[in-house]
Amino acid sequence: MAGKGKREQKIAIEAVIVAAIAVAGVALQIFAGGFKRELLAFPVNLILVISIPVLLIIFKGASRHLASGSLSVILISVATVIALYMGLVPGNSAKSSWPFVLIYLALLINLTASVLTRLRTFRFRKDISFMLNHVGLLILLFSAGPGSADKARYFMRVFEGKVEWRAEMSGGSGKGETIELPVAISLEDFEMDEYPPKLAIIERMTGIALPEKKPIYFEATLNAAATIKSNSLTVDSVLYKPGFAPAAYVKVVDNTTNKITEGWVSCGNYFQHFKTLNLDSIYCVAMTFPEPKEFRSKVEIYSKSGKVKNGVVKVNHPLTIGGWKIYQHSYDSARGRDSVWSLFELVYDPWIIPAYIGMIMLIIGAITLFWKGGRS
Amino acid sequence: MMWDNFIWFSTASMLLWILGVASLYMNKKSALTGNILISAGLALFLTFIFLLWGDLKHPPLRTMGETRLWYSFFITLVGFVTWLRWRYKWLAGYSVLVSGVFIMVNLLKPEIHFTNLMPALQSVWFVPHVTVYILSYAMFGAATIASFIAIRELKHKSERLMPLIDNLTYIGLGFLMTGMLLGAIWAKEAWGDYWTWDPKEVWAFITAAVYLIYIHARTQKYPLRIILWILPLAFVMLMITWLGVNYLPAAQGSIHVY
Ligand code: HEM
Repeated sequence: MAGKGKREQKIAIEAVIVAAIAVAGVALQIFAGGFKRELLAFPVNLILVISIPVLLIIFKGASRHLASGSLSVILISVATVIALYMGLVPGNSAKSSWPFVLIYLALLINLTASVLTRLRTFRFRKDISFMLNHVGLLILLFSAGPGSADKARYFMRVFEGKVEWRAEMSGGSGKGETIELPVAISLEDFEMDEYPPKLAIIERMTGIALPEKKPIYFEATLNAAATIKSNSLTVDSVLYKPGFAPAAYVKVVDNTTNKITEGWVSCGNYFQHFKTLNLDSIYCVAMTFPEPKEFRSKVEIYSKSGKVKNGVVKVNHPLTIGGWKIYQHSYDSARGRDSVWSLFELVYDPWIIPAYIGMIMLIIGAITLFWKGGRS
Repeated sequence: MMWDNFIWFSTASMLLWILGVASLYMNKKSALTGNILISAGLALFLTFIFLLWGDLKHPPLRTMGETRLWYSFFITLVGFVTWLRWRYKWLAGYSVLVSGVFIMVNLLKPEIHFTNLMPALQSVWFVPHVTVYILSYAMFGAATIASFIAIRELKHKSERLMPLIDNLTYIGLGFLMTGMLLGAIWAKEAWGDYWTWDPKEVWAFITAAVYLIYIHARTQKYPLRIILWILPLAFVMLMITWLGVNYLPAAQGSIHVY
């Protein structure tokens, strides 16, 4: 019984300490304002990453207490409560608040201490699952937390046939500031593939498509056909030239009266008006804008150090040059595939390699959970 | 439209599953008939998924209705495999019931109105990310059911379900972590950052954290009458992550709301 009472006492002390940390965080938040990520910028973050394990190794006694599993449960619970706040309160900035940062730091210390403790008696078969999960997470948390202070993101707009070095900060304290980057992009060509636009019969006043509950939209491709509410529609020809809006020549037969209506239908674009085909005083055939299927930029990229790279940037396929990743962000959406510029996002994250290493260790660690099951 | 055939495929599968589970209960000597019936139902359901895949020309993983389809399939599969491995008939039965609920939802409210895949979703990470997630949901669904029964059995001082519950939770967490990390790697490729505390990510974090609390509390040997309630709680978080995030005021503007 004495043992049990002692354990409860330990948990109570840990809970009080964690509560004190959280309260200190709230106080800091109130008196000092939100946490500035820049405080952790290199070399502060690197010093932190090294000093936490080193201090824990030197102060072995303290480390034993800090490695406590019940402390982990409390800390993960508090982190969850903060995340609930993040997830429920609109427009909050909890992720850059002092309570969050301090609990994050406490988790890092607790996790490092438990890894170090486990390392002293490490036996491969017994401990490899624990190590993969916890060392992986530790590396990831160090990279994603303190490491993120070195991250930078910029938007760069490049016109076809031009070279650009300047970019606008897309986040952080300098948001909106324009600076010259150590990388440049020359945009040779911006291209877009689209899904065919769609045709529908709509009510002219309201734009509601027929049949009302389950509207039919069919692709405006050559010889496409559909029957919508006793109207048979066929597409007799399709025109879509660069610089022009897509247009389809549509023939509509009213199956009840055999009346035939035909003519051009177009969704229009930034300089051409849209065109509908009236069936009667209430309904008409209309075309939707084509949706983008894929857009890509043919580029040549340069770094100040003299590297040159040719390639295609598209969504899900960034290009990498000297620690920078270049993403296809957007284009002139009013012009769609005729856009003459492309907007790129450039991301610099010197901690990305350790972050990936942590993630891969965690994935392997997750797989070990399958065969390990609930037996420890 | 392949979706119009869903009612036939799902009713037939459901019938095979119900007959299979009934046979497991009635026929005490041999489980063969029951196993064959359930497998046939699974095969039929999977056939529908692949026919739909062919029809859509992309994996049916994008809309709510489509992911519910996989859930209906995997929850039954998980119940069946756990029955084969640990001989829990009731879990096979319950999972068929849960699957039935999701089939009903899909019949009444299909939510399948997209056919064009937007560029951000055209990625090799898309299919593994979503499938692995759904597998974890199926595991946790089963663990939640088991936890309710275990809570009731605590009155009789019985802890017979604990090994099963721990196994399901470990495996579920394995899938959940994998799904989250695949999502993170994908996000880096698509949006330039592997974690941005986007609302969906916040809720995914909450879900994983609550399951982590369960696992770590178990290693601390905390009283079961407290710990066991963590699982239903975690499952509520999971449901919010999956189905509820889009409706939360804090989630307006999330990249995950399509
Ligand atoms: C903030 C993060 C975490 C902290 C502070 C933490 C801490 C701990 C501690 C101190 C233990 C030892 C408990 C004991 O043996 O008495 C432990 C065990 C365990 N943790 Fe974590 N952990 C964290 C995250 C994770 C994650 C992400 C996973 C899995 C995906 C995980 C899975 C496990 C497992 C499976 C055990 C039992 C391992 C065994 O006994 O071999 N933990 N954790």
